[in-house]
Amino acid sequence: MRKPEFIYVTYIETTPEKLWEALTNSEFSRRYWWGTEVKSDWKVGSPFALVMNGTTTDVGEVLEVDRPRRLSYTFHHVLSEAARKERPTKVVFNLEPYGKLVKLTLTHEGFEDGSVILDSISKGWPAILSSLKSMLESGTALAIPPSCLGIEGVQ
Amino acid sequence: MSAVPSFVYTTYIETTADKLWHALTDGDFTERYWFGHRVTSDWQVGSPYKFARQGAGAVEGTVLISDPPKRLAYSWDPCSPDAKRERTSRVTFDLEPRGKIIKLTVTHDNLDEGGKTLRDISGGWPMVIASLKSFLETGHALPADLPSCAAKEKTDA
Repeated sequence: MRKPEFIYVTYIETTPEKLWEALTNSEFSRRYWWGTEVKSDWKVGSPFALVMNGTTTDVGEVLEVDRPRRLSYTFHHVLSEAARKERPTKVVFNLEPYGKLVKLTLTHEGFEDGSVILDSISKGWPAILSSLKSMLESGTALAIPPSCLGIEGVQ
Repeated sequence: MSAVPSFVYTTYIETTADKLWHALTDGDFTERYWFGHRVTSDWQVGSPYKFARQGAGAVEGTVLISDPPKRLAYSWDPCSPDAKRERTSRVTFDLEPRGKIIKLTVTHDNLDEGGKTLRDISGGWPMVIASLKSFLETGHALPADLPSCAAKEKTDA
């Protein structure tokens, strides 16, 4: 059996620098990630957090920063008690120039067997990255109602 | 986990279900975002369909489900000789409104473990669907090509 992980690939008509900025700048992230701010100084070893409307939902530590090619951080959901008990997972973004496009590969790995957050992130990332692609290409992020994602605990 | 691998890819597109259905089933549209691949079919259940690029067949099969604008499924038989040795796989498109957005889920199943088709479609769908989304949202498809596909077609030829 394969170890549980989530991989998502998309292609965006943008530059690696702009995509990097969108992944690491809270002003951008608020627009495509339902108001979520990505908080970090993006130095290896520095803390990382996702803050949604003033509430910290996820925390971690920056593992790799190779601008504008590779970014990774540990990821620990802290809102729900069940998720808090799980060990931190790892998120990796790979940005590769592809002609006039950028190929973005997200890998989220390190889940415990029966992880409760694997299901949530598997529903969340496609919506977040679809919205990110729209924002970079058309200037407007997607207005996907978060309640429609079928993620437990998300209103 | 099932023994037969499947590939599932989800995206969200700012469009209507009718426009997305049209983009999936109209050859003039697929030719623009599917890197030159034109689809033809009358989209009746049991009817044949075919994707061709510059007149050369790429993929063909039979329409299995046609429930506009919610669900479309067809069998998937690549025209390359290597893939012909593999079992016929199946593609299903589910279109679900989510507010003013459409959630599109592509499920490609009944694939051979470690087969050429699984390898090709795992690389191909993210690109085709990314281009489809750009096409519907911005009016132009992604300026790219399916390099692995084109390179392999040349090798096959």
